[in-house]
Amino acid sequence: MSFWFTVIRQVGRNLRMTWGSQLMTLLTVSLSVLIFAFFYLIYTNMLNLGHKLGDDLSLIVYLEEEPGPELQQQLINKINTFDEVEEVRFVSRAEAFQRFADQLGKNQDVLNEMPRDFLPPSIEVLPMKNLRSLNQVKLFSAYLARLPGTIKVQYGQDWVERFYYFTKLLSIVVLLSGTLLIMTTIFMVAYTIRLTILGRQAELELLKLVGATNNYIRTPFLLEGLLQGLLGSSLGIAQLYILYQWIKLRFSGPGFLNVFELSFFPPSVSLTIIGVSILLCTMGSYSTMQKFLRI
Amino acid sequence: MNKPLHDNTATMIEMIKVSKGYPPDVVALKDVSVSIDSGEMFFIIGMSGAGKTTLLKLLCSMELPSTGLIEIGGQAIHTLKGFKLARLRQKIGVAYQDFKLLTDRTAAENIAISMEVSYKKPQIIKNRVRNLLEQLDLADKHDTITGELSRGEQQRITLARAIANSPTMILVDEPTGNLDATTTERVMRLLTNCNKAGATIVIATHDQSIYRHTSHRVMELRKGQLHSVARGTSR
Ligand SMILES: Nc1ncnc2c1ncn2[C@@H]1O[C@H](COP(=O)(O)OP(=O)(O)OP(=O)(O)O)[C@@H](O)[C@H]1O
Ligand SMILES: [Mg+2]
Repeated sequence: MSFWFTVIRQVGRNLRMTWGSQLMTLLTVSLSVLIFAFFYLIYTNMLNLGHKLGDDLSLIVYLEEEPGPELQQQLINKINTFDEVEEVRFVSRAEAFQRFADQLGKNQDVLNEMPRDFLPPSIEVLPMKNLRSLNQVKLFSAYLARLPGTIKVQYGQDWVERFYYFTKLLSIVVLLSGTLLIMTTIFMVAYTIRLTILGRQAELELLKLVGATNNYIRTPFLLEGLLQGLLGSSLGIAQLYILYQWIKLRFSGPGFLNVFELSFFPPSVSLTIIGVSILLCTMGSYSTMQKFLRI
Repeated sequence: MNKPLHDNTATMIEMIKVSKGYPPDVVALKDVSVSIDSGEMFFIIGMSGAGKTTLLKLLCSMELPSTGLIEIGGQAIHTLKGFKLARLRQKIGVAYQDFKLLTDRTAAENIAISMEVSYKKPQIIKNRVRNLLEQLDLADKHDTITGELSRGEQQRITLARAIANSPTMILVDEPTGNLDATTTERVMRLLTNCNKAGATIVIATHDQSIYRHTSHRVMELRKGQLHSVARGTSR
């Protein structure tokens, strides 16, 4: 009881003494959390979108002839040697004709004149729904085109591919801003705590002489780092949430962004970001104390 | 074996052939051996530069001896570290010759520090601070920044901080250097009361008026060496 009372009063004293730099640190921490979380949010939304696009993305390999069961198995093996795939489906001439007819619906009588085997047989390949296999869709199609007996390979639009390059770039940006987050939090917190320690050198010296335990001296600084992490990251996440709501409001209604649903982090991710920030800030203050508090 | 600090019959301070040198070649203390009982009041006198302050610094482990053994309450002080050292220091009140006050804090805050580190309750601290200021005739300085006080006032605040936490051992360096006769008497009465309550007290001083008529032991240092230990001529 008395312990926490003393500790909290000490923290209050520190904050009052160096409130200018404390505020700067708080803002820096919240800004770097904001930057990191912003890119990360875009990234996760892109992944979501990618997942949905992946549903539509299949490669269609048109074949010269209908493959027999043995050839089918050989083709499946060949496809699997390139990469694991979600599904391989064989479409015979008859099936292709039937499908086409279904698509024409009421107008299917135009097909009456046509031979039932005028459409080529094909293989539909559904790649795995992950970034890696989607990224190399181009390579994959080139590979499939080289299989014996193929006429042509068709796959989703070009922009799908560009989209995945973009996502990849974004993942690098997320990594970079994450590094930035780690650096700023640790260094800024360490810096302000160092400032406090140097400003209170005489007092810390005296505290040791009158018998203050290490815990008595350290806890306020650790708590200070913890508070910086908690407040800074919560502030950053809150700012991002407001930004997110604003974007949603602005761009809702018919338009490009309606193609996919925007979504915010689940609470667990927000909490993890806050938790990691707290950890980083506390580490920053701890490392400074190890350096500047000779106790 | 650790004797408890409050054992009245025990030896509180044991110094055996203690020397202290400062670089490059200053010998501040040389081969000083003395033992001081628990509950004793003990004076250290000597000319300026004789080593009085050095001896007190060794006793509160602010400095380590170059050679020799110092035991406080049965514990060899140079072996203590961290938590144990902190606990011992909580039991030792020191009034430094250079005060070591936090000059940007009020008198009350300065006195409270020594109690805060042992987590005394705020209410108890408040009462104790008021009581001490009263006894030292400083009641009206409760909220004054210590940097603005006179030297004599600062000296008394330092003393109040030293005894506030009711330590078992009190080290006082020149407690009356800047004080008039009446205030000196107040200070000595306060210290005597602490002594009667059981505290071991070591006073380093030039001030003849406070040791001339004492019945306690007086040790004289000369150039860092023990010159004499004599029981004062009781009045
Ligand atoms: N930190 C130090 N570094 C070097 N020499 C020191 C140091 N502290 C004290 N001395 C020297 O040790 C000797 C004893 O000093 P000390 O302060 O113990 O004297 P003192 O008896 O307290 O004197 P005074 O009555 O003036 O306070 C002096 O010669 C002093 O110059
Ligand atoms: Mg001295």
